[in-house]
Amino acid sequence: MSFKHEKIETNAGILLVFTMIAISIGGMVEIAPLFFMKDKTIEKVDGVRPYTPLESRGRDIYVREGCYLCHSQMIRPFRDEQLRYGHYSLAAESQYDHPFQWGSKRTGPDLARVGGKYSNEWQVQHLLSPRSVVPESVMPNYPWLLTTKLDVSDVGDRLRALRITGVPYSANQEEYQHNVKKFGEKVADTLVIADAQKNLVAQAQEGNYDGDRSSVSEMDALVAYLQVLGTMVDFSKVKPEDLVKFR
Amino acid sequence: MGWLADPEIAKPIGMLIFFITFCLILFWVYGSRKRGEKLEEYKNIPLHDDDDDEVKKDKSNG
Amino acid sequence: MSATTLAAAEQYDYEIIKKFSVMAIVWAVVGMAVGLYIASELAWPFLNFDSPYFSFGRFRPVHTGAVIFGFGGSALFATSYYVVQRTCQARLFAPGLVSFTFWGWQAVIVLAAISYVLGYSQGREYAEMEWPIDILIELVWVSYMAIYIGTLMKRKQPHIYVANWFYLAFILATALLHTFNNLAVPVNLFSMKSYSLFSGVQDAMVQWWYGHNAVGFFLTAAFLGMMYYFVPKHAGRPVYSYRLSIVHFWALSFMYMWVGTHHLHWTALPDWASTLGATFSIMLLLPSWGGMINGIMTLSGAWDKLRTDPIMRFMIVALSFYGMSTFEGPLMALKDVNALSHYTDWTVGHVHSGALGWVAMISFGSMYHMIPRLWKTEMYSVKLINIHFWLATIGVLLYITAMWISGISQGLMWRAFDDYGNLQYSFVESVAAMHPFYVMRAIGGMFFLSGMLTMAYNVFQTIRQGVRAAEVESVRAATATA
Repeated sequence: MSFKHEKIETNAGILLVFTMIAISIGGMVEIAPLFFMKDKTIEKVDGVRPYTPLESRGRDIYVREGCYLCHSQMIRPFRDEQLRYGHYSLAAESQYDHPFQWGSKRTGPDLARVGGKYSNEWQVQHLLSPRSVVPESVMPNYPWLLTTKLDVSDVGDRLRALRITGVPYSANQEEYQHNVKKFGEKVADTLVIADAQKNLVAQAQEGNYDGDRSSVSEMDALVAYLQVLGTMVDFSKVKPEDLVKFR
Repeated sequence: MGWLADPEIAKPIGMLIFFITFCLILFWVYGSRKRGEKLEEYKNIPLHDDDDDEVKKDKSNG
Repeated sequence: MSATTLAAAEQYDYEIIKKFSVMAIVWAVVGMAVGLYIASELAWPFLNFDSPYFSFGRFRPVHTGAVIFGFGGSALFATSYYVVQRTCQARLFAPGLVSFTFWGWQAVIVLAAISYVLGYSQGREYAEMEWPIDILIELVWVSYMAIYIGTLMKRKQPHIYVANWFYLAFILATALLHTFNNLAVPVNLFSMKSYSLFSGVQDAMVQWWYGHNAVGFFLTAAFLGMMYYFVPKHAGRPVYSYRLSIVHFWALSFMYMWVGTHHLHWTALPDWASTLGATFSIMLLLPSWGGMINGIMTLSGAWDKLRTDPIMRFMIVALSFYGMSTFEGPLMALKDVNALSHYTDWTVGHVHSGALGWVAMISFGSMYHMIPRLWKTEMYSVKLINIHFWLATIGVLLYITAMWISGISQGLMWRAFDDYGNLQYSFVESVAAMHPFYVMRAIGGMFFLSGMLTMAYNVFQTIRQGVRAAEVESVRAATATA
């Protein structure tokens, strides 16, 4: 063999290039296909839509408080999880999640389908003082969520940033029409960036999540987010065989 | 080049390339006694770097 | 005599190494104290004190950031600067940049901790720093890379010693991982908040490609570099097989990058990706154990020193934990085992057997070796090193035993059915059952932290004694020449 291997160990440049090649291949092979073969990665199901401005702000609070460190949002296809949490999670259900919040630890239960399982009153009480409703819980109390008014000043900017990442919030008439076609008029109206603040306040008023209509608290936003989790897909209309091929 | 993107073709080709590379590394490292001896000499580098209050040795040959 | 001492002192830049060593110890104390605190929060939730600034969710990234990047990172900066200079027989490249890496890196850790407590988080495990801090990390890291490569280029020793290969791979990989995992769109230029460029399944893939390789390169490859220098150096014997270390390096660098998907078994990630991750995880056992055997065999002729030298004990126990956790890892990457272990405390235990048993122990050993040499003195107390060793070992064992039991019982309780095919336990019953083990874990952490405080005291006294001796020496030199 005439190839002088000595060069690799005596030449920092060559060592650098070879190392770079060695460490790049794995990531490229596993990551790139997920972007280029989206149709084989993400199921086509109806109902999944971007979050409304209020839900989206609630999600920001979920991220801020580090909920993902104790709660997963990814139900696995096992019988016990099916019984405890519901249908296993689909890739489609988190397609608008920037960042994803699948989590890695269940110090508390999975929340992927917590939406609608408890009343707003229960959620508020549980967030204020978890042990008042679940005595064995080790969750912190979150009293400040109810007393802190939600900052709505930059909600438009937030949706605009999400739009750049690819979430279809509409910035113009053309995009709005596209959303009407894709999600229906009712949903498309909630995705208009220009109306973000108005829509946010309206949803908080109507939903009355924290039991106080006079102002929008962080609690309103977080409960609105929790109540929509896992409720977008109607599984009675989905055929299991259409999902299985994505696994 | 489209055929290369087919996973059923890319997988065995990838396997083959990685396996051959691995064999080449093994061959390089363990294939020749002379090269082996030279490589093993390098392991003394950390032991030759003593500077603290010690007589300076000739470090040109590591 | 004084002429040679002067030459030796000027040959290498030790000042920067001293600074990083001290900060490594400071961050270890801070990070482990916060770790103990959040472990106690899980055992006694009143410790959250109804305050956003103390709540578990905001505090945990403070713990992971301070121990991984503060303690681990500073220890790596210190040892890599030490190793690269001594094995290349060259002074560090670009002194201005060197100083920037120190201040920049410390700023990153402080800013990250403050921002977490204030509620700024990207919501990505081990990469919670928001975008302005990410940019600072990027700048520090590129400088670090330039310094490291620059120093390698100006070396006087023709061969690049293998420890430097591992450090280099760690620097390159961290740059790559940090850059791609933190691609995000800020809300606006004056907002700390940003949104990940990726979503859902792609985001999960990128994050765990980062997450596992932060373990693979930051917490493994780099500390292997440390091992390949300090273990032979301290034992006074060359590494067992240099050729094995070369194979170890290439196999490890190549394979680690594939295994991140084992964190996403049974999720919405396509099956082919998680199968690839599982396959490579199992193959990774070979290079990992190759490295462990190489380290242990290096010590094999020096067993007698184990009885007298606690530093040696740190090193051998570190290697044993490395072997143990690199066996446990592939086991947990098997899909059937993962079905049980994922989402449970077993994962937490596994991480800590690696982080405390391997990463921290090899760092302690290396720093106990390096610190007296930096200050040209001897360790203040060998007895305290010995006490530290036992506190640390008992601490790790308590910690991982508690997490094994609680993790496996969680997994079994969640999937238990009664005779009628209903779930046997509600979720909260599993939470209640964990309480004794969470207490036990906190006690383990307390042991480990006490050991760390012992080290801090010992090192403080060592430095004081070194500084005093240097002052006496310089006075004597001045009077001699006068």
